[in-house]
Amino acid sequence: MTATLARHRGALLLFAVAALIPIGVRDAYFLDSLVLILLWGALSAAWNVAGGYAGQVSIGHAAFFGIGAYSAALLGTRWQQSPWLGMLIGVLLSLGAGGIIGYLSNRLRGPYFTLSTIAFSQVLLIVASRWRAFTAGSEGLPVPFRPGFATLGLGHVAWVYVALVVAVLYWSIAVWLERSRFGYRLAGVREDEDAAQALGIPARRLKVIAITASAALTSVCGTLWAQYVGFVDPFYVFSIDLSVRFALNAIIGGLGTALGPFLGSILITSLETYLRAALSGVKSGFTGIYLIVYGLVLILVVRFVPEGLSGLAARLWARRSRSAA
Amino acid sequence: MDPARSLGPAQIDVFAQLAVSTILLGGIYALIAVGLTLIYGIMRVVNFAHGEFLMLGMYLAFWAFTLWSLDPWFVLFVSIPLFFVIGLITYALVMKGVVRASHNVQVFTTVGLSTVLQNLALVLWSGDFHTVRPWHSLRATRVLGTAFNLSQVVAFVVAIVLTVALVAFMRLTHTGRVMRATAQDHDAAVLMGIDTERVYRLTFALGIAAVGAAGVLVSPLYAVYPTAGLQFVLLSYVIVVLGGLGDMGGALVGSLIVATVEVAGSYIFGTAWKEIFYFILFIGVLVFRPAGLFGQRGAETLGM
Repeated sequence: MTATLARHRGALLLFAVAALIPIGVRDAYFLDSLVLILLWGALSAAWNVAGGYAGQVSIGHAAFFGIGAYSAALLGTRWQQSPWLGMLIGVLLSLGAGGIIGYLSNRLRGPYFTLSTIAFSQVLLIVASRWRAFTAGSEGLPVPFRPGFATLGLGHVAWVYVALVVAVLYWSIAVWLERSRFGYRLAGVREDEDAAQALGIPARRLKVIAITASAALTSVCGTLWAQYVGFVDPFYVFSIDLSVRFALNAIIGGLGTALGPFLGSILITSLETYLRAALSGVKSGFTGIYLIVYGLVLILVVRFVPEGLSGLAARLWARRSRSAA
Repeated sequence: MDPARSLGPAQIDVFAQLAVSTILLGGIYALIAVGLTLIYGIMRVVNFAHGEFLMLGMYLAFWAFTLWSLDPWFVLFVSIPLFFVIGLITYALVMKGVVRASHNVQVFTTVGLSTVLQNLALVLWSGDFHTVRPWHSLRATRVLGTAFNLSQVVAFVVAIVLTVALVAFMRLTHTGRVMRATAQDHDAAVLMGIDTERVYRLTFALGIAAVGAAGVLVSPLYAVYPTAGLQFVLLSYVIVVLGGLGDMGGALVGSLIVATVEVAGSYIFGTAWKEIFYFILFIGVLVFRPAGLFGQRGAETLGM
């Protein structure tokens, strides 16, 4: 038990700090950043289940995010149902969609798999943005704010704790993946699918399970995000940029690590918040400049620090302990 | 958009019009896709930033036309060497370090490049839609009861000439043979004294030159804006997977298939839903014939 605690002291410290912040800080801007850091971190942790642990690199995860966002928003606006019910329906739909994508692109490896995930998310984008009668089409869908926990109409402090619960839960799933038979078999499939199969590991089935689980986890955050932000824009929730963002945090933090996605999210979300404030006076708009930086970070990280921040930290730590000994 | 609609059904044989539409569109798609498939075939890198070079080509044509009233047909001659150099620079700065790296590194490097280029365009030239309207985009050409604007016809002819030239270069010249040898077996090529680094550099620059030229050619036909490349690049993925990733002849056939699906789909179901057909086609091909319609079976499971 103590060994487990010691191994995860970094993560536990991080989550403890996140839990304590709302007690001392009431600044809405700061709390907003914290909610987003936790939500983006959780989303990247969800992506990491397929992309990092199973090696199924998807640039189509926005599909599941969008499903979660739209399920709750549509149920809420059209039938006045609770977003929790919408979240459940989103999860069921994402399990279905993830299962179908996982099953269909099962044989595909490398860039073929990545291309197929993009195609799936684009099909959903087209449906959501063109099916005016049901989804309100390209104008998007405002999510009404109805106060109360049952309707997820919460203040900033409550949102921090909702996001924190999800973040800790997703982090625990990743920790479990690192220590369980299922996780070891996934890693086997990721490193060498043919060798894994030769050892009797049902590689294709495991890949389908990984992507389906990852889809459901992504969908939950999609619902939360839509309720938090209050607006669902099809060109955002189904965008390739968003799918890249999920991957980006995980890559920067460390692919296939439990804490990595959260470290990546802290860095990228803070960078975004900082640049938004610093460039607020720039006429051509903040988004462009922010995304240029973000693209450059992605290129530089995969090139020079492919193991991510957590890998880099481990490497530096090892060097320090060696020189100390 | 489609000149056929404004002329009314009485004057035009619908099927002839649709058939010629398909062929014209297919030729332009071929030039866009051929660079992508060339880069994939030789370097084994899927260039996710391919559409952004197309977008830059469109902006080049737009600025040349707006600032100096230069016709895109003239800009075309400048664009090919210019984009060749842009390709060389991009290769040296970005691609060189990842050409032998894992798929993930390559995917995210080119995705990052795409984000940078898109947003550079957004910051420099804003998100406004621009159009390039030289005289030839306003002139209709009539052949056998069908009508097309001249830009479209010339874009098609030039696209086919460039695509065929590129295929011929790969098949017939010594350099082309060296490039194909590198694609088949990198290590053997090195042992035969081939400078594979130079091959990759040349491949990337040629692919970018092709797509840059395509951008200039399509500028009178489509709106110019920072994410203009996206619709085309998604389409070229469909084309190159249909034709077999890396197969340049296959890309030509793939272009015609995608153009057929697009033209027939928009005619029957309306333009709003046309993209959905080629994505469904794409998913169908990935599921049933992932190595392409004429590809070697099993290529997809090797991630080749």
